Amino acid sequence: MLRFGAMARARTPWLDAVFYSLVLLTAVVFTFEIFFIFLQTPVERRMGIVQKIFYFHAPSGYAMYIGATACFVGSVAYLVRPTETSDAIGRTGAEAAIVFGGILLTTGPLWGAKAWGAFWTWDPRLTTALLSFLIYVAYVVLRAFAGDGPGERRFAAALGVLGAANLPIIHFSVQKWGGQHPMVVTGSGGGLQHPAMKTALGFGFLAFTLLAVVLIWLVSRVEIGHSRLRVAEEDAIDLGLDTRTEV
Amino acid sequence: MSTQAAVSEPTTKPSDDRATTFQAVQGAPEHYSGEVLLVTAYALLWLIVFVFVVLAWRRQNRINARLDALEREIDKADAKGRK
Repeated sequence: MLRFGAMARARTPWLDAVFYSLVLLTAVVFTFEIFFIFLQTPVERRMGIVQKIFYFHAPSGYAMYIGATACFVGSVAYLVRPTETSDAIGRTGAEAAIVFGGILLTTGPLWGAKAWGAFWTWDPRLTTALLSFLIYVAYVVLRAFAGDGPGERRFAAALGVLGAANLPIIHFSVQKWGGQHPMVVTGSGGGLQHPAMKTALGFGFLAFTLLAVVLIWLVSRVEIGHSRLRVAEEDAIDLGLDTRTEV
Repeated sequence: MSTQAAVSEPTTKPSDDRATTFQAVQGAPEHYSGEVLLVTAYALLWLIVFVFVVLAWRRQNRINARLDALEREIDKADAKGRK
C-alpha cells in the first residue's frame, strides 16, 4: 500500500494563514521594539549607548531556553516512544537553541568589550552557556553527518536531554559562583531604573518569544516535509523506482 | 568544632559580589567604540536569523522539488500497475 499518496498533499491552508500571521506579528513587534529602544528608552548613564545591546541579549538567552526545552521534550518523547514527530521536535528545538545561543554568544562579548574591557572571560555563566551551545551544535552535526538511523537518533536524543540538564546550571551559576556576569534582571540592584528600560526589556522578551515560535514552526515544516520525503522514497523503492537521495 | 564551623561559614555569598547594575570599566582607556559595538551586535543578530531562515527555506525548496518529482514517478508507476 502506498502511504505517500494519502499524505503528500495534506496541506492545511488555515494553518499556513496562522503561520504567516504570526510572522507578520513578529515583524511588527520587532519593529516597535527597535523604535522603542532607540527613540524612547534613555541612554544608560555609565555604559552609554552600548547598554542597548542588553534588550536583545537577555531575551536571546531566554529564547535559547525555549529551543532547548523543545529539544528536551522531543528527545524524551523519542527515547520513550520513537516517532517521526518527536524526533522532528527534538531536532527543531536543537536548531532553534543554536540560533539563539549564537545571538547570545555574539551580543554578550560585544557588550563585555565595553563593560569589562575584554570580549570573553571564563566566567561560570559564559562558560556554561558556551557548553550548552556546543551540546546543541553536536546534536545537529551528529544528525547531519552521522546518518539518520535509529541509533543516531537515540544518541542525539540523549544529547538533547544532556543539553537540558545544563540549563539550570547556566541559570543558577550567577547566584552560586563568583564571576563578572551581572544580575541585572534577577538581582535587586535595580539596573533598570527607568520605566522605559523595563518596557523595552519586556517587549524584547515578547519579540524573542514570537521569533522562537516562528523559527521552531518554520523548521518543523521543513522536518515534516523531510518525513514525507522519507515515506515517499520508501514507496518509490517498493515500486522499483529506487531513486533515494539525501536532502 | 565550633571554631571550624565559624571559619568555614562565609559571611557573604559569592553572588553578593556581582554587579547588579550596568557599569562600564572605570579609568581604563576606551578600546572599543560603543556605537560600533552596538551596530555590530544588531547586525550580527539579524545576520544569524537571516542565514538560518535562508538555509531552512532552501532546504524546504529542495524537499518540495524532490517530493514533486517522486510524486509524479509514483503516480505514473501506480497508473501502470492498475493497467
